Amino acid sequence: MTAMDTGERRRTGEARPLITELIDETTVESVAQEAWISLVGEEELLVPLPGEPVTDPVSSWVDVVGPWTGSVVLTTGRRTAEELTRALLREHSPEVLEDEDVADAFGEIANVVGGNVKAALPGSSGLSLPDVGEAPAVRNPEDVCRADLLWRGQPISISVQGALPPLPAH
Amino acid sequence: MRALVIDDSRAMRRIVSGILEGLGYETQQAGHGREGLDVLEGGWLPELVCVDWNMPVMDGLQYVSAVRSNPAWRSMTIMMVTSESEHTQIVRALAAGAHEYVIKPFTADAIRDKLALLGLLPQEVVL
Amino acid sequence: MTLTTTSFDWVRQLVHRESAIVLQPGKEYLVEARLLPIARRAGLADVSQFVESVRTRPSPDSTRAIVEALTTNETSWFRDGDPFTALTSTVLPSLLAARGPSERLQIWSAACSSGQEAYTIAMLLEDALPSAASRVSITATDISREMVERTRAGRFSQLEVNRGLPAPMLVRHFVRAGTEWEVTPQLRRMVTASECNLAAPLPRMGPFDVVYLRNVLIYFDLPTKQAILRRVRDVMRPDGWLFLGAAETTLGVDDSWERVVVGRSSAYRPSKGK
Repeated sequence: MTAMDTGERRRTGEARPLITELIDETTVESVAQEAWISLVGEEELLVPLPGEPVTDPVSSWVDVVGPWTGSVVLTTGRRTAEELTRALLREHSPEVLEDEDVADAFGEIANVVGGNVKAALPGSSGLSLPDVGEAPAVRNPEDVCRADLLWRGQPISISVQGALPPLPAH
Repeated sequence: MRALVIDDSRAMRRIVSGILEGLGYETQQAGHGREGLDVLEGGWLPELVCVDWNMPVMDGLQYVSAVRSNPAWRSMTIMMVTSESEHTQIVRALAAGAHEYVIKPFTADAIRDKLALLGLLPQEVVL
Repeated sequence: MTLTTTSFDWVRQLVHRESAIVLQPGKEYLVEARLLPIARRAGLADVSQFVESVRTRPSPDSTRAIVEALTTNETSWFRDGDPFTALTSTVLPSLLAARGPSERLQIWSAACSSGQEAYTIAMLLEDALPSAASRVSITATDISREMVERTRAGRFSQLEVNRGLPAPMLVRHFVRAGTEWEVTPQLRRMVTASECNLAAPLPRMGPFDVVYLRNVLIYFDLPTKQAILRRVRDVMRPDGWLFLGAAETTLGVDDSWERVVVGRSSAYRPSKGK
């Protein structure tokens, strides 16, 4: 198998669930809300409303490998990711936040949300270490479950997106 | 009482250590299982280890097995603190020798409740 | 706008009448915090507006919602573990010796909230007794319809199972249900949930071998405490066991109980000849 092999041909004809058949937006929202209440603060509500598109986006994600394979991707503005880091660290927050601090904290939130999204999927799956940077591309627009949320008025999206391109039509 | 907190996220290490220190623990931190073993091999033996599952170099499950294979470390209580929350994963961790399991996300109360179950709340803490 | 004295007094009277729970002056903040979500759901901006609208035009649903919001409390699984340790170490062996093999033990979890106490008892019995489901039945009651429904469903969030439920018991007695955890069918079969107001005459129930009535009496005034203890005694077997909360006692309230020390816990048993 070469690096170019997308698995398309091998998987043709195999039953492969789309994420929309496995979970819905409300589930993703409630997983995120539990994470926010516990980690960020008891009063920290996520409002299920789309916001303005962010100008300086940053993403953190974990990969899920199992009966369904893809990524759980959190995306927000740089400033919001910093605010989130400070909220998470509370009194342990340093005077000046380094990029590394933000990557670490925002990555950990992806790990927590991703782990719980994974547990809500059928069967057993593996979970990768978190990654931070530019969001992985959406490979199949049909294989995405996305929640658009507002935290302290700022948009945060959570996209549960498949890693495989669509099956070719017969 | 002493506690070792092992997690690859610095933020999470600070949060867990902060909760334990608030309960009267003296803490040390490690970024993955191998570093966690180094702490024990260096002679700093805690009553409690809180360990994440998914970490680079050596993951939490490997760490639990490594600690359990050394009779000198048998009295240590191990609590996994992880976002791995499938039923089968918890069973595997307990079978490997973890005593307790806290699912991320958690609140400070959840850690305190588990320590109370394990008889590991320092005496002076009033519930 | 903050709660007016008139609104607060009306809520106090309503809650006392419906549940006999006393809200002391100074608990306005509690009323505001608990009722705000209901006020918002009703489309109103604050609690005062909401209370005024219910006060001027009361409906059974809205008054019930107010009473429920003010009478539910937080529970976790092995909260004060001692009364549970006492169940398996002392109470259960003594009851099994006293009862015939075909007699079913009856346990009551009064004011069960979302069911953690009832299922904690069920888990302990399931682990201690072969074929527990055929030997024991657990009655779980609460004044709140919502709590009774939650108990019946036996589903708990991740945050709830994280609170004081030992991991070995979680994996033995629960299965994953989406983002939540659900008790196994064996446990659910042992627990029957229904609505019950402890401050009013009880429906036909019992006779119970064990009653858990923890952190309930503290909310009531003395005459109501006495009435509740009398009613509980009436539905208990003469050699039954009553567990109260750590800060509660029958002493100085109702002298028809005998306090016995069980391990690190205290239980109360009906006095002989009273």
